[in-house]
Amino acid sequence: MTRKIRAAAAIALIGATALVAAGCSAGSDAAGGGDGGKVTMTFWHNSTTGPGKAYWASTVKAFEKKYPDVTIKTQAIQNEDLDGKLQTALNSGDGPDIFLQRGGGKMDAMIAAGQLMDISGSISADAKQSISAGTFAGYEKDGKTYAMPGAVLPEGIWYSKDLFQKAGIEGTPTTMDELNDAITKLKASGVDPVAVGAKDAWPAAHWYYNFALRECSQKTLEGAAKSLKFDNPCWTKAGEQLEDFNKTKPFNNGFLTTAAQQGAGSSAGLLANHKAAMELMGAWDPGVIASLTPDGKPLADLGWFPFPTIDGGKGDPKSMMGGVDGNSCSAKAPKKACTDFLNFIVQKDNQEAYYKAFNAIPVNKDAQAVVDADYLKTALAAYQEAPFVSQYLDTLYGQNVGNALNTSVVDLLAGKGDAKDIVSTTNQAASKG
Amino acid sequence: MTIDTSLGTTPTTGSDTAAGTSPTGSGTPLPAGRRSTRRIADWRKRVEIAVLAGPAVIVFVTFVILPVGMAAYYGFYKWQGYGPPTDFVGLQNYVIIFQDKAFQSVLMHNGFIVVMSLVLQGPIAIVLALLLNQKMHGRGLVRVLVFVPYVISEVIVGTGWSLMLQSNGAVNDLLQGMGLGGLRADWLSNPDIAIWTLLVIISWKYIGFAVILFLAGLQSIPEELFEAAAIDGASYWQIQRRITLPLLGPTIRIWAFLSIIGSLQLFDLVYIIWGQYIASTAGTSTMATYMVANGRTSGNFGFGSAVAVVMFIISLAVALIYQRFVLRRDTAGALTERKN
Amino acid sequence: MATTSIVAPGRRGARERRSSAALGRANPLTYVVAILFVAANLAPVLYIVLGGFRTNSQITTSPAGLPAPFQFGNYGSVLSSGIFWQQLGNSTISAVTTTAGVVVLGLMVSFVLARYRFAGRGALYALFAAGLMFPITVAITPLYLLVKDLGLTNSLAGVILPQIAFALPTTVIILVPFLRAIPDELEEAASIDGASRLGFFFRMIVPLSLPGVVTVGILAFIASWNSYILPLFILNNEGSYTLPLGVQAFSSQYSVDTAKVLAFTSMSMIPALVFFTIFQRRIVGGLTGAVKG
Repeated sequence: MTRKIRAAAAIALIGATALVAAGCSAGSDAAGGGDGGKVTMTFWHNSTTGPGKAYWASTVKAFEKKYPDVTIKTQAIQNEDLDGKLQTALNSGDGPDIFLQRGGGKMDAMIAAGQLMDISGSISADAKQSISAGTFAGYEKDGKTYAMPGAVLPEGIWYSKDLFQKAGIEGTPTTMDELNDAITKLKASGVDPVAVGAKDAWPAAHWYYNFALRECSQKTLEGAAKSLKFDNPCWTKAGEQLEDFNKTKPFNNGFLTTAAQQGAGSSAGLLANHKAAMELMGAWDPGVIASLTPDGKPLADLGWFPFPTIDGGKGDPKSMMGGVDGNSCSAKAPKKACTDFLNFIVQKDNQEAYYKAFNAIPVNKDAQAVVDADYLKTALAAYQEAPFVSQYLDTLYGQNVGNALNTSVVDLLAGKGDAKDIVSTTNQAASKG
Repeated sequence: MTIDTSLGTTPTTGSDTAAGTSPTGSGTPLPAGRRSTRRIADWRKRVEIAVLAGPAVIVFVTFVILPVGMAAYYGFYKWQGYGPPTDFVGLQNYVIIFQDKAFQSVLMHNGFIVVMSLVLQGPIAIVLALLLNQKMHGRGLVRVLVFVPYVISEVIVGTGWSLMLQSNGAVNDLLQGMGLGGLRADWLSNPDIAIWTLLVIISWKYIGFAVILFLAGLQSIPEELFEAAAIDGASYWQIQRRITLPLLGPTIRIWAFLSIIGSLQLFDLVYIIWGQYIASTAGTSTMATYMVANGRTSGNFGFGSAVAVVMFIISLAVALIYQRFVLRRDTAGALTERKN
Repeated sequence: MATTSIVAPGRRGARERRSSAALGRANPLTYVVAILFVAANLAPVLYIVLGGFRTNSQITTSPAGLPAPFQFGNYGSVLSSGIFWQQLGNSTISAVTTTAGVVVLGLMVSFVLARYRFAGRGALYALFAAGLMFPITVAITPLYLLVKDLGLTNSLAGVILPQIAFALPTTVIILVPFLRAIPDELEEAASIDGASRLGFFFRMIVPLSLPGVVTVGILAFIASWNSYILPLFILNNEGSYTLPLGVQAFSSQYSVDTAKVLAFTSMSMIPALVFFTIFQRRIVGGLTGAVKG
């Protein structure tokens, strides 16, 4: 008898230990209880270093002070890991309550899975007044809003005025031919013309997006988001443009293993340390560059010009690639506390602090007066004039197709594929999902 | 090693009598009146079996067998991972897999790693085992130290090595310092070199294991054989070639089996060093990284399940073929067939 | 060889001389090779450990150099970060529970397979042996979905239970021959003394099978400690990570801070190395025993 009991006891012990272990780690981050009483939320963002990380820490503290019943646990996740981790966490049902939202197909997937909170009814009057309707449009679907925008991030080429001057380049290139000219001059002056962080795949892919923006009509770009078919010949033409551009060897040495934003050896770091003259990036770049300069301050000679125009092509020469960065609430988050936070961070003073920390354009029109950097003013003006601003294609087309698109562009730059391969790989990715 | 991997046949180690060919508890037929006691004994035996084997079987079936069945099921759908799968596509996922150039290169990479791991590690490990089998001071210490890489996780190995192999990292610096500056290279991103780099790292991690295994195998060779050969006037190398290596055969074949299966499943090292995006550009992607990139990372759980099924079938086929043609030799009793 | 005609100083002496001639005396070349081999094995490990004692600028200017001077700040900040200890704790709970589960469940089912006779015994054994063909890497995608459906994601139970399950095939295959080799006479003697089958199990089998069990336990512990792909899929939150996941997250979050990453990485190595040092004779001996059969 005692032996059987011993056996049963052993089994029970194992089971109990397992359950305790389960309880120990699962309990720590359960989403906060009801809206009355103490509420805890988790917040995931992608600023792992410097003033950006400090900004979020202090903003969260200020919010907790204003709403003493709410506690927010913040987690900073490296940008490259964020999308994958977020998707897994949300799919498993234990995702964060507040998180970075890029929009586009990625957001659509979350909406389809019922993972996002509809905040249309909870946007404060303040926010509605100070943020343009067009900015909100990027986060709307079927008339409902699913995220609060935070920053406007138009894309263009960031360059070092000093290095341009040293190479004898007057003004800034407006056409591809002029850009190629500038590249030749820069090479002659002994500096890498263009820095690109191909290790993370998307920075290289941004070159393709912009060529596609020039080659393809707005209708094609937007239509592909619904059909996920890339049969229009403009896609191949864009790839060929990229191939020609790549043949001039414009990129920094070892670009295939250069990261985008991490460390002095990253593409942003190269620009910050005057080892490379140009980088194609969204408008978060000045902030990243600032954190990588020798003195940690914004780069004094930084300039901006829009992506050059090409001959032929069905895209409007003034169109821009660009996104809006913002934050979403998870469908499981406590509604009042979460939307309070979203409204809080777009208030004028917080947006002004955002500009100071990130050196990026805040969405709050009143806060935009604080933007004093030349390059941001130029970018903002171009953004406001652009007839069409497209989401970055990997965000627009969703994670599955986006990842395939990005890696196929890297393959092209590495000489392992050609323009047709980009199209076929992207089409094939769509068929996998 | 007498690991029995033959499926379904009675294990050859130990005689069957130890497993109790005689019925439990009783050896002779019982008189009629005792049959009820026997039924109780039978029933009690069943309960014991259920209680003892039950937990293991439940856990095993739930977490091992069930997922493979689920993979087979989900593989027939296009499915994003939430809600029930509704988009039945039959064998289409499998067609896509085999037509995908990325998968074809992945198969080549895995095949290359399988073969080259054996080629690089085997001979070196045998030679080292032979050398280390001699009487020397500190032999025990050497054996312990040589096993260290095996004990460390692949994540740590990958993190450390990828830092060492950066363009401005320790390896290139060391080469420069030794006057071999011309040999400096882009170890991780150059598609021509990257897979060799991977092989070197794999070999570094697992060769210690091979050496230990071979050492153990060497020690099970009876000394009398060496003496007899020495009496017959054989030289050191003749002895190794004619006696040691053939008798080490079973150990080598088991090691090769473990190495092949491990190479087919390679994931951690590649994922840590090359990350999600450039493994295929660098030419180091494997079936497992392909499965994760096209399954979980892209949210295509139906497709990812199909890839898992393909991986399973390939591993199973390789394992069965290997057992049928290679490991069978070991059960034929090699020792008895040698006339010494 | 001239040794054949020598009889004195005793058979043993002559035998030793002949066998060492057959094996080869340990000449200087052997020592050189051994030292080189050990050095090659340990150099990267030393790189990681010593790297933690340097500053980033030291690493940038002299990648392959030694710490000059030794910096303790990196190790200090890793040791004082709550996250490291939390992840260490998670890894420990996971490994210990997995090992306990593997040993208990494995021993029980191996006992049944080895010493009971019943219909379906062969099939049950084949079921476990077939499990060798389904490694975690292959099963991970549907396994993740299953764990999610069971509501065990982001919990250590979601990692422990699959690890136990996937360690069972190896365990069964090692333990069944072991248990089978225990003579029937012992069992008969025990039943004569009035012990039941289960009594026999607890009183005699468990102590006798200890060597095999220890080997199996150690293998399970190391596999669980180093496991990456399973926690990668199951654990979502930094606070619930095990050490391998923690190393990867730390190294990408602080990728700029190479020295600190190396410090964290080497601290994560320590437990495995300590464990190995304690049990090394068992591990190496266990493999030896397994080879010898």
